[in-house]
Amino acid sequence: MPENVKVKERYNWPVTILLILGLITVAFPLYMTIVIAFKQPSEMTNSIQGILSLPAHWSLENFREAMEVTDFWHSLGNSFLITAITMVLTILIHSVAGYAVGRNRDKSKFFGLAYYYITSGMFVPFAILMMPLVKQTAQMHIDNLVGVILCYLVFYMPMNVMLYSGYLKNIPVALEEAARVDGASTWTTFWQVIFPLMKPMHATVAVLTALGTWNDVMTPLVIMSGGGMNTLPLAQLTFQTQFGTNYNLAFASYLLALLPILIFYLFAQKQIINGVVNGAVK
Amino acid sequence: MSDNTITRRGFLGLVGAAGATAVLAGCGGSSDSGKTEIEVVTYKQEAVKTFERLQDLFNETHDDIHVTITCPNDATTVLRTRFIREDYPDIVGIGGDVTFSNFVDAGILADVSDFDGISQVKQSYLDTLDKLEFVPTEGIYGVPHSANAAGVLYNRAMFREHGWDIPTTWSEFTALCETVKAAGILPLYLGFKDTWTTLAPWNALAIELAPSDVCQQVNAGTTTFAEHYREVAEKEYALLQYAEDGPFAYGYNDACTAFANGESAMYTIGSYAVPQIRSVNPDMDIDSFVMPAVENADDRILNSGVDLQFCVTAACPHKEAAYEVIRFLIEHDSMQAYVSDQNAVPCVEGDFELPDVLDGMREFIDEGRTADFQDHYYPSEMAVDAQIQTFLIDGDVDKFLAKFDSDWTRYNRDIIAKVQDYYATQG
Amino acid sequence: MGNNRQRTYYLMLIPILVLFFCFNTLPLLRGFFYSFTNFRGFGGYDMVGLRNYIDLFQDARVGNSYLFTFKLALVSTLAVNVISLAMALALNSKIKFKSALRGMYFIPNILGSLVVGYIFNYFFTYIVPFLTNTTSILADAKWAWVAIVVVCAWQSIAMNTIIYISGLQTVPEDVYEAGSLDGATGWNQFRYLTFPLIMPFFTINMVLCMKNFMMVFDQIMALTSGGPAQSTESISFLIYSNGMAGGQFGFQSANAVVFFILIVTISVLQTRFLNSREEQL
Repeated sequence: MPENVKVKERYNWPVTILLILGLITVAFPLYMTIVIAFKQPSEMTNSIQGILSLPAHWSLENFREAMEVTDFWHSLGNSFLITAITMVLTILIHSVAGYAVGRNRDKSKFFGLAYYYITSGMFVPFAILMMPLVKQTAQMHIDNLVGVILCYLVFYMPMNVMLYSGYLKNIPVALEEAARVDGASTWTTFWQVIFPLMKPMHATVAVLTALGTWNDVMTPLVIMSGGGMNTLPLAQLTFQTQFGTNYNLAFASYLLALLPILIFYLFAQKQIINGVVNGAVK
Repeated sequence: MSDNTITRRGFLGLVGAAGATAVLAGCGGSSDSGKTEIEVVTYKQEAVKTFERLQDLFNETHDDIHVTITCPNDATTVLRTRFIREDYPDIVGIGGDVTFSNFVDAGILADVSDFDGISQVKQSYLDTLDKLEFVPTEGIYGVPHSANAAGVLYNRAMFREHGWDIPTTWSEFTALCETVKAAGILPLYLGFKDTWTTLAPWNALAIELAPSDVCQQVNAGTTTFAEHYREVAEKEYALLQYAEDGPFAYGYNDACTAFANGESAMYTIGSYAVPQIRSVNPDMDIDSFVMPAVENADDRILNSGVDLQFCVTAACPHKEAAYEVIRFLIEHDSMQAYVSDQNAVPCVEGDFELPDVLDGMREFIDEGRTADFQDHYYPSEMAVDAQIQTFLIDGDVDKFLAKFDSDWTRYNRDIIAKVQDYYATQG
Repeated sequence: MGNNRQRTYYLMLIPILVLFFCFNTLPLLRGFFYSFTNFRGFGGYDMVGLRNYIDLFQDARVGNSYLFTFKLALVSTLAVNVISLAMALALNSKIKFKSALRGMYFIPNILGSLVVGYIFNYFFTYIVPFLTNTTSILADAKWAWVAIVVVCAWQSIAMNTIIYISGLQTVPEDVYEAGSLDGATGWNQFRYLTFPLIMPFFTINMVLCMKNFMMVFDQIMALTSGGPAQSTESISFLIYSNGMAGGQFGFQSANAVVFFILIVTISVLQTRFLNSREEQL
């Protein structure tokens, strides 16, 4: 009995069970994805039993073929490169912007306007920017990886600046004042005091940015089209032609593309959770 | 309206300017090896393997020209964005539809009437392209390569087993549907959730029931769609009673799968659907017949348009080399390879072995009794497919036709102005 | 000293503003210019004055897309925020398998739209009708939007939950301890202690959700492509499919400009309102 009581104190079981039951909303689609990724096109039928049944043979053939068709390692490398560079630059640049804006927007008209100017950017429909951007990047001779990354830096800026400057409200100015009294410049204060404290927000921003860039088709498609450099989502377009879609290969390929980002998320999640500001806020 | 009327001269000037910037921007060029580089971009992504083989074969047999053929994913977007940055491939392989009309109109394509291979192309397909120009333009802007054919696909084994005959008139067709239904089999499985599939029967019916140049006539202001499309609409609506319950819930993919698994006897779609159907049932014996929309069997016409044509861009600096590539692509062996792989119909004269799914359309192809898809004239932004779907759901023909006419004038305003201006200056 | 500090702030921000101007404002201005033309996306064009804007207000299809988008955005935003907040509280409470559960619930956010489209199409076309003995709502012009709400919610709950969780992390443990001494537990604890403290995160989530759903595009493409009977054409769907894929670039640029102004206005009002609530709490 006493042991039981102890466990009850530690864990909220009803909530745990509810959450586990709720997982069916995630598990079911995932199950379908996995099953379809292993099946052959001839096993696809229009009946419930047909689609939910397990594949006739468990073979990695679909995955092998999907990897071959998409030139997997090469495309993965490109996707990884774009995502990683974007993520790092995003965190460095947008946190600075968020800080400069967040600490001054109430005091200075310029920074207040800058905040609204930047955040309003998130409401610009991409379709209107697309064609002018294609032309502009071509004229600047950055219709390549550089252009794509610069576009991402700007696309995610509004949201990230908003997140960072919002988060800054949780970090007392007193911390900076203390550092300044010790003679540190604003720049140093930022990197040594504020930047580390923003860790949970870095993790959030990193996840948001990585997800967006990892799955994005449109930007690399229009900016680098014809450049001969494929990202994973671009290569995956191969499975959908005008008059037919090979869902089995496509799903196998999507599962492969999902793994790296899932692993990354699991890693970043720890940061969100552990990097709490608790101590500092007091 | 005064600010958007374009005089013919103004329009030609514009084309000239576009051409000049294109030439300045340049394309292609000569590689270090002294070979002329020719770049071909086609939108036939499903034919990538065939084109890779053809590309290698060409390069092995040519010392002076090196060709690169690519079939990028989402080629339409790729081509458009490349045109925006004035990065023109030498040859583009596109379909004969409103995109082509727009490219001709924008002066992106070169006149290829001096290409000797043109004489090999069947006249009916050259006429098809000619009609796609908004206003009659001097010259030929594409070399038709292959065509597709649409009508009704049927399960040959099932037909044989039940002793069903191929219908040649609308009454025979509806009678057949009743017979099939009576045998406990679904006559048709329609994938009308995917709006574009509503256009397949629509086109096949329209070419027999409406004048082939109805769109041009409307643009010229001499008729309305309400006058010609009523029967087309009514007959497509009649198909619904022979299809599965709630065809708007099922997509193209569902329909292909159902047809492949023998759930329906027929499918009103084009030959392009065969690879998707066979991916589900590789050994399926599929044949096709021309949609009989009329009561006189001799009035039937096969719905066939240019599916792939090669156009030389106005910016291409090596027109002769580009011609050599096209010459190679339309010669007998290359053509046969493509036709067999893609279930396509060759647009050039010659003795080709046609895929067996086209058996039932063979005589129409040989006799040239074909007419172009009417939707090749519809601007995509008008979303005619979605309008047909709306009509099939609510069944209101009058509303549909009225909207068709009013939307047509709205979405084609600039073209109509151009056409009427053209006839005004001509007449 | 103060001046110097101020200068550093300017030095931090100005290069970033320049970058932003180049890749956001400049192309936007070009797009704004195209909204006065009949540009098709390639080839030549003519200036048409305000014609596109005049057409815009007379176009029934555009009007319907605005109505549909508002309805969708409003319902989805409310649904997502209520569910995410509940999820965040649950996932932040003392539960077993915390990390694993958080990881699993995140998966919907990373599945590509082809997969999501296929699975939910299958779900609504075959499974739901089978279970409830009804016809597919995807084929019903009146109810197809509900299916889109479901998919939108399913996909975006994960991200919003994360933002709420990171908000909950900023609530120090001793606040609860102090609260429980005053008898604040359960709903009262949430209402008077937790919620006011995570109000900034609520603001962010409400504004972001609203904005994301106003710009809904992927889910439409994956699920209905605007059908049935054009009942689920969102504004972004129209701008993209007619402006980029179709030949209405000029007209849809005008649409995009109007849409942009509208959505900025909505968000500013929303932020103002929520901020004022924040201060009250």
